[in-house]
Amino acid sequence: MKKTSHSCFLLLIIFLIRMVPSLSSTVNYTDPTLEPVVTENSVIRQKIIDSQFKCYERMNRAPPYKKKGLFCNRTWDGWLCWDDTPAGRITAQNCPDYFPDFDPTERASKYCDETGNWFRHPESNRTWSNYTLCNSFTSEKLKMAFILYYMAIVGHALSITSLLISLAIFFYFKSLSCQRITLHKNLFFSYVLNSMFTIAHLIAVVPNPGLVKRDPVSCKVLQFFHQYMLGCNYFWMLCEGIYLHTLIVVAVFAEEQRLHWYYLLGWGFPLVPASIHAAARARYFNDNCWMSVDTHLLYIVHGPVMAALLVNFFFLLNIVRVLVTKLRDTHRAESNMYMKAVRATLILVPLLGIQFVIIPWRPENRLAGEIYDYIMHILMHYQGLLVATIFCFFNGEVQGALKRQWTQYKTQWGQRRREHCSTRSTSYTATSITEVPVYLYHHDSNNEQLNGRYVEDSELVALKSGETSA
Amino acid sequence: AHHFITATACQEADYGWMIRHYCLKQFQLSMEGIGQRLWCDWDETVGTYGELTNCTALIAERLDCYWPNRLVDEFFVAVHKQYFRNCSLSGRALHDPPNSILCPFILLPILVTLLMTALVVWRSKRSEGIV
Repeated sequence: MKKTSHSCFLLLIIFLIRMVPSLSSTVNYTDPTLEPVVTENSVIRQKIIDSQFKCYERMNRAPPYKKKGLFCNRTWDGWLCWDDTPAGRITAQNCPDYFPDFDPTERASKYCDETGNWFRHPESNRTWSNYTLCNSFTSEKLKMAFILYYMAIVGHALSITSLLISLAIFFYFKSLSCQRITLHKNLFFSYVLNSMFTIAHLIAVVPNPGLVKRDPVSCKVLQFFHQYMLGCNYFWMLCEGIYLHTLIVVAVFAEEQRLHWYYLLGWGFPLVPASIHAAARARYFNDNCWMSVDTHLLYIVHGPVMAALLVNFFFLLNIVRVLVTKLRDTHRAESNMYMKAVRATLILVPLLGIQFVIIPWRPENRLAGEIYDYIMHILMHYQGLLVATIFCFFNGEVQGALKRQWTQYKTQWGQRRREHCSTRSTSYTATSITEVPVYLYHHDSNNEQLNGRYVEDSELVALKSGETSA
Repeated sequence: AHHFITATACQEADYGWMIRHYCLKQFQLSMEGIGQRLWCDWDETVGTYGELTNCTALIAERLDCYWPNRLVDEFFVAVHKQYFRNCSLSGRALHDPPNSILCPFILLPILVTLLMTALVVWRSKRSEGIV
């Protein structure tokens, strides 16, 4: 799932870092036969001997070939282990990671011909496996891995900046604050923390194979918090959806809800999957720094996240259904208002969820695969920017508040150029005039005050908010 | 004792004989030295095993055979049968736990998530009635 693209990305980063010190490989690949020779480098040799031992063990213990017809015998070709293969078939497996310029996500293949013998290279007449794909695209992949790496860091930095600006706007303009904005603030805060942990991970852990080899407890703790913040992000989106659902469908236009349960779901509950993942990882798949994405244990965190996205999506569909069918007849104005509020969330939830849906289908074609990688990286790492833009910068109320503040500053600046004494009273009236429309625009939590004159005021509000977007 | 063959073709019979009477003898002596109790300890035997591999590769080079080949496969399978038969399969590579353990680990958080969501929806619905 998410791990495939993430694993490609991480593996590329790791092997590009390893490759930087010495670009020369121990394999002579100008030789078309590209065959294993006993290498001098002892670390690489250790790995190969290790694999050889495992291969012969496997060859020994695996049951003999039972199917009918010709087949090629299981063999060790010097780098990889090949099982019994029926005649006339090409078998493939992932390239080994012995050499810095071998990409373990590429495939090595071996052809068993119709006579039941392994393919021999025509030039040397020796049994030959095709490892050419393993190191043929390395330089382009390195370049792209670098680009994606820096793109990820820039994405998270931009996200943090825009989210902090949005938080500043929400905290500064007290007139904007209502329960929905409180939920937005918590959501933005969790995105900020998530981006910070991701940047820490990308800068401190990923390019640092020495640290990964030492495997201190701190990098596992970092990974734990990373998974926790990922859960927080998606569970706060779920809280937004539940809040809107309760507001619109369950208890229509009612008074303030108690937010304790939302805080519990958003900040407290993600500890549960993160802790279970940490415990399972420590017990069953305790690799260095828990960096490997080749394990199904990651679903312990990603499963609840996907469940939350799915539930959220159904809630939002239900809200739209209610708004379109039931409320349109009776409360058209409110229906429009709420539709605008829901629209933002309805755009965001599929955008956040789509990365989980399309992950398994990375195209085989190189160009399409590259485009896919770029799109996935943008979806994954620029989420904070997207959330801040849709929930804050494109919000009509926020834009209105900013515009009023701007005109206020402009008039204050203009008045300061004239004499001091005469400007005081006029600036007070200017501020009091600008406060009143804000009160009217602000429909979420002040409904109880508007109850008496509900219908005509909401028409007014709907008209005013007609030119703005949610 | 190694002799050079001027013919370019690889004489399989000679190769087989040589690795059995030269490389294997060395290996047997080393393994006796390590002691049968420790044959399954990979850290102890890795050096000797590596030398055996090297030896077969060197003789292949001398006899102008390519390495590895079918004889090497058969040779090593026999060596494994004799020396490493009772060892547990070196599971040093990390792998996921079996499905009977993995599935509860994954399903439990998902179920708890759904329960928690239902709880929050129910409580926020109830708080309307109270307030």
